[in-house]
Amino acid sequence: MRTIPVVAIAVLLAVSPAAALDGTEILKKVDANLQPESFESYRKLINVEPGGARREYLLWTLKKGDGKIASVFLEPASEKGRATLRLGDNMWLYIPGVGKPIRITSLQSVVGGVFNNADIMQLDYHVEYDVRTVEEQGAEYVLDLKAKTTTVAYDRLKMWVDRKTLLPTRIECYAATGLLIKTLYFKEPKAFDDGRLRPAILETDSPLYKGYRSYMVYARIKKRVVPDEVFTLDFLPRLETMR
Amino acid sequence: MRVAPRAAAALLLWALLIPAGAIRAQDEIRLEDIEKEIARTVERPYSLGGFLEFQPTLFGLDRDAAFHRLRFLDEDEGAIAAQYDLGLRLEGAYRKGIFSLFARADALITQGDLDRVFRIDLLEGFASVKPTPGLALDVGKKVVKWGKGYAWNPVAFVDRPKNPEDPELALEGFYLLAAEAIRSFDGPLKTAAVTAVALPVAKDVNEKFGETDHLNFAAKVYALLFDTDLDVMVLTGGSRTTRFGVDFSRNILPNLEVHGEWALITDFEQAPVNERGQAKRRVDDVMSYLVGIRYLTERETTFIVEYYRNGTGFTGEQMEDFFRFVETSDATFLGTGNPTGIRRAVTLAEGAYGRPNPMRSYVYARASQKEPFDILFFTPALTTIVNVVDRSFVVIPEVTYSPRTNLEVRLRAVALVGERRTEHGEKQNDYRLELRVRYYF
Repeated sequence: MRTIPVVAIAVLLAVSPAAALDGTEILKKVDANLQPESFESYRKLINVEPGGARREYLLWTLKKGDGKIASVFLEPASEKGRATLRLGDNMWLYIPGVGKPIRITSLQSVVGGVFNNADIMQLDYHVEYDVRTVEEQGAEYVLDLKAKTTTVAYDRLKMWVDRKTLLPTRIECYAATGLLIKTLYFKEPKAFDDGRLRPAILETDSPLYKGYRSYMVYARIKKRVVPDEVFTLDFLPRLETMR
Repeated sequence: MRVAPRAAAALLLWALLIPAGAIRAQDEIRLEDIEKEIARTVERPYSLGGFLEFQPTLFGLDRDAAFHRLRFLDEDEGAIAAQYDLGLRLEGAYRKGIFSLFARADALITQGDLDRVFRIDLLEGFASVKPTPGLALDVGKKVVKWGKGYAWNPVAFVDRPKNPEDPELALEGFYLLAAEAIRSFDGPLKTAAVTAVALPVAKDVNEKFGETDHLNFAAKVYALLFDTDLDVMVLTGGSRTTRFGVDFSRNILPNLEVHGEWALITDFEQAPVNERGQAKRRVDDVMSYLVGIRYLTERETTFIVEYYRNGTGFTGEQMEDFFRFVETSDATFLGTGNPTGIRRAVTLAEGAYGRPNPMRSYVYARASQKEPFDILFFTPALTTIVNVVDRSFVVIPEVTYSPRTNLEVRLRAVALVGERRTEHGEKQNDYRLELRVRYYF
């Protein structure tokens, strides 16, 4: 009678690490395919309200390695110069004219509307999430991701990945309670400066904001490595001078 | 000349009557168009912008209050006064290689029952050289922004004080030379930075900073150590007495930040008056400090709470003596016409007794709710500032709404509550109502 548990444990030991490894490898490749490890980018955030009115924000971003990301708003005029910095789990917001950068959390929204800070200062997925399971569904992998810490904005992600291109097509973002917060759709693959094909449009809808849609449109993604000193609190007010 | 109210009315009409639908665009994202638009923006080495602002204010005057009597003496301005402010802010920046220029200026027209003013102020205007990201040199008029507090910054040794009723207003800088060096590391110490400031004070240069004919030096060392922001700062030079400070800020939970500041001001001179107006000069080392939190709930309510101990402030007894002196001087002036006492009281009110938060102990609390009832770009907030010593306080309910890109409307009421001979009970106003319409360009 002891053979069944022994066999079950042996199977688990044999299968689980392999599945986890595969999932992690897939996720790392997804990250590499979405953006270079260190880069600069110009993005447009667009909120479309149920009546059709639009609000647009232009954002310039620098990212370095696994945990350093800094962004500054270039448009509209009311947000110009507003800059954010993320060093791992630490996040700060600098508002020109107001004072020193203040500490913020990933769930807050820098600009109001559907986008929150975690969307704007997204680190690589494999840095913030562990792969729990991987399934094959037709031409796609479906990855179930669990946040490594409670500081991550979304507790769980369900990610659909194209098996051929290893690019995500859709991600559902869930709170710890199981509530669906938003769904991201990756669209219009385009060759960027390094010749790699990446989705140029990230569309979002949320059951919390019925009728609203938001888009993150990547116009430029370019490999660029800048000194670590750029990702510091004292440098944040000068961030735009790096453009 | 009634330019301000007319222009303001036109701005208001434009802001409120044009429906949002008039600027609606199709729900269509054309990658090509966006790329062209971004290319136009990113290639400009300069930027120019700012905002146009109209702010009508209604003051409910407290005709028995000490500061009302000191301002208007024997004139009766009635119980209510209106004021219209029309402001223009311009900001410009230019970059070329390692050099950059920045300027921020305000123009303000005030018309109303109490004041008529036209003013242009250069808030900041400086040149920068940045040979590497880790090294920068600034020269010109600049706001340095030291400290972690939201409403008060006892360690902001080279800045003008914030207005705690509206701490996000842009400040005016001082003319200075500042050098900054930053280094990043791996490990628990992630960043270290040193800032050194030279600030001259002479006739017509930084005169409001302190005693003239001195060159003052200030320095700050910053570290991001174990995920905590830490600063140590010092100011010396003669225009103000030497002072030392430290501050910190840290997220102890993802949605809970704690911060604090501590300042030691050496040889601080204070001259409180007794009820006859006689000053007793005292020189002593004093400490000011602040502790605060910022907390975000799951429903996106943000709470900011700060306690401020102002070592340079007056005690309750000293403030009461001042108010008694105002009462007797005013009675003498109205009874005999002798202005000697009231003139002295006016001078005192223009100095330490009339500055914002002149006493020892305060609590600031603010709760703001982001986008309640799913109304996007709408934020109601409630703020209070309590004088712990005399238990007088200010309550500020407000709503901010952005009906469309670059347009912001803020409506707020400010009620000042307190007994006689308390800070807020003796302020010129019982309340004020403000509407602020701001259009960014």
